Amino acid sequence: MSFIIYALLNTAFVMLISPLFVSLIKKVKAYTQGREGPPLLQTYYMLLKLLKKERVYSDNTSLIMRITPYINIVCVLVASLCVPVVYIPAQIAGFGSIILFLYLLVFAKFFMALAGLDAGSTFGGMGSSREMTVSAVIEPVIIIVFAALGLLLKTTNLYDMFTTSLNSSLFINPSTLLISLSLFIILIVETARIPVDNPETHLELTMIHEAMILEYSGSDLAMMEMSHAVKQTILMAVFINILIPWGLTSAPNALTVSISAVTFIIKGMVLAVAVGFFESMFAKSRLFRLPNLFMLAFFFSFSTILFELLK
Amino acid sequence: MINLPVLDDITKILFVLVLATAALIITIRTLTSLLNIYSIQSWVIAAVAFVLYLKNGSIVLLLLAILTIASKAFLVPFVMRRIQKSMHIKRDLEFRYLTPIGSILVGTAMIFLVYWSFSQFLPELSSETMFFPGAVIGVSLALMGMMVIFTRKQMITKILGYLTMENGVLLFSLFVAELPFIIELLIILDLVMLIVLATVLAFGIDTSIDEFHDKLNSFTLWFKE
Repeated sequence: MSFIIYALLNTAFVMLISPLFVSLIKKVKAYTQGREGPPLLQTYYMLLKLLKKERVYSDNTSLIMRITPYINIVCVLVASLCVPVVYIPAQIAGFGSIILFLYLLVFAKFFMALAGLDAGSTFGGMGSSREMTVSAVIEPVIIIVFAALGLLLKTTNLYDMFTTSLNSSLFINPSTLLISLSLFIILIVETARIPVDNPETHLELTMIHEAMILEYSGSDLAMMEMSHAVKQTILMAVFINILIPWGLTSAPNALTVSISAVTFIIKGMVLAVAVGFFESMFAKSRLFRLPNLFMLAFFFSFSTILFELLK
Repeated sequence: MINLPVLDDITKILFVLVLATAALIITIRTLTSLLNIYSIQSWVIAAVAFVLYLKNGSIVLLLLAILTIASKAFLVPFVMRRIQKSMHIKRDLEFRYLTPIGSILVGTAMIFLVYWSFSQFLPELSSETMFFPGAVIGVSLALMGMMVIFTRKQMITKILGYLTMENGVLLFSLFVAELPFIIELLIILDLVMLIVLATVLAFGIDTSIDEFHDKLNSFTLWFKE
């Protein structure tokens, strides 16, 4: 019963704040370019508008195209249960496992790539092909990063990890600093941000994520955008809960839950501003230069393992 | 002389920063960022020396920290920036033998190799807790600097590689053996001499060693009868 309450609270909270972070990053980028930028609630308006619009499918599409938005949003929301942001619940079988978490995200990504191919348009195919190429390189790095995290915090369960990092500090585990650099790189890569992909472009030959969802319209597009926003929030939450877990609680009551929600919004907004500045500082890099970035994440996670050995 | 566990933890965080800067020095292509990162690395190493001074109370360590900040965080980057301005190049895009990806992989392997070979004998030599990590990271940093020297083609990045190597040796010497202060001073003086020499030469160096060699060859006529 208590897990159901947690599931409802956590999911509702994540869905509520995800569009805010998306708009905030856009706003920061606009400011650094000397523009006013869209209002902070713009992503909410856009999602509401899209939900009202009708869906259009090409005649060439199959079932994949129709079910992918549902699969995506469901996978990402279930994955969000693995990353507590309101409070850390008691253990429940299966949830919080790193393997489950990563597989759910990859499953959603796989279906998105299939849907990109489904309509038979050249853009979609290119986007899928690029997404799979990038994933093939980043996936081993993600596994190494989470393995290092597991070695560091002596568990493969995300709930336990967050409890451990909540009870220790940066001084006890200085290697969390190194692993958070890797996590930041993963956040940038997985949410299709600038050195890897440009989220602003909607019709450009270099796009990756946007190319795959180009064929979607109406509420389907709203679901795809929402699942992207939620994915970004949960990856941010992993970063925040590992590096700066202050405010998160494992003893839920009305006060502690609201404190942890408020602190998460503040920390998330700070991180979103940091991501916005990070994006503004760099130019999109060539596809063949991307492994460079991934290798940095790889290096930092290996150094984390080394630091564990040196203890 | 303070003996707090928190000092060890701070040292560990500083080690993390040293490794991060080393990885960035291997991969980054923009020369101004490279110089900034080198400057940050020197600050971090000075901080390590200062923390060790707080722990051991040896005045040599404090002097070393001050000397490091004065020479490597201010003087050397300042002179290097002037060299860079006179050279009209902003980025180092040429690599030899290894691309940055390869360098990072080799760097990771090297750290593990150093760790493995040191773990055979070093832990028995000293009971100091920070002695072993300090030695491993110092030597790996020196080796990474060496890797920068042989993978980069631009002269100015090669100098940075040499400086990184020197930082590694300094870190190693901080933890392993207390060198007499006069030797540390001489090393720093050598470093400054190297930079001054490089400044003089830089007016002749536009891009790489090979071109510089050709340029020098054109002067050989002057010495022939």
